[in-house]
Amino acid sequence: MVAVNFGEPVASGAALAAVVRRPVDDWQAAIRLSCSLLEKNGAVTVVYADRCIAMVEEHGPYIVLAPGIALAHARPQDGVIRLGVSVATLSEPVSFGHNDNDPVDVVFAFGSPDNDQHVELLSKLAQLLLGGLADRLRDAEDDATARSLLEEVTQDE
Amino acid sequence: MTRPDPLQVLTVCGVGMGSSLMLRMTAEDVFKRLGVRAKVEATDVSSARSMSPDVIIGQGMHTEEFEGRAPVVVAITNFMDKDGLEQQLIEAFEEQGWWP
Repeated sequence: MVAVNFGEPVASGAALAAVVRRPVDDWQAAIRLSCSLLEKNGAVTVVYADRCIAMVEEHGPYIVLAPGIALAHARPQDGVIRLGVSVATLSEPVSFGHNDNDPVDVVFAFGSPDNDQHVELLSKLAQLLLGGLADRLRDAEDDATARSLLEEVTQDE
Repeated sequence: MTRPDPLQVLTVCGVGMGSSLMLRMTAEDVFKRLGVRAKVEATDVSSARSMSPDVIIGQGMHTEEFEGRAPVVVAITNFMDKDGLEQQLIEAFEEQGWWP
């Protein structure tokens, strides 16, 4: 039996999704775009994007963790159904109001159903970013290419 | 004062599960490079207020309020910049008489 799942969990059980070179008006729309991918995958509910935006409004644009790269997320109780990570690259970068790391054109979002499940995933994502994942995503010309790049977060060494 | 061994280190961000976690990984790597034993924990800013670590690392917008409340407070902007963090830690350790 071969199960074929598109946009479904892979190895680690994380929901994955990616889109590339999308136009958005502002940072809120960028977060909504990435969160909408998690929503389509059934990883988060419709309130999650609002909560992610509220986190930035409350605590500042700290989710812009390196030049050009944002990692949006909220808390498990903010509507996370299961572990998921998504990424959207933007056709035009947007400003998050970060003094050093603006403008942003690679926007990740993740949701974790508890305080532990995402640790391994983010650890792998950190490694991949150090290895140049953001530039490979920027170069990706279609969604499928970006999604297969993102799949590396669920793969072992 | 000699450097505590291991160092109690907090990486902080708004929620305590995304940016601070990424930063924890960077910090652990840098402490390993420096040959300094450190227990690094990721947390949110409000929890950090009730803790008394030796070192606090986070983005400037979060570390500012901790100036003077921990011996070493390091503001970073790019979690991928390990060399920058290493340099900042060495300078801060020197000020504390913790280095070499």
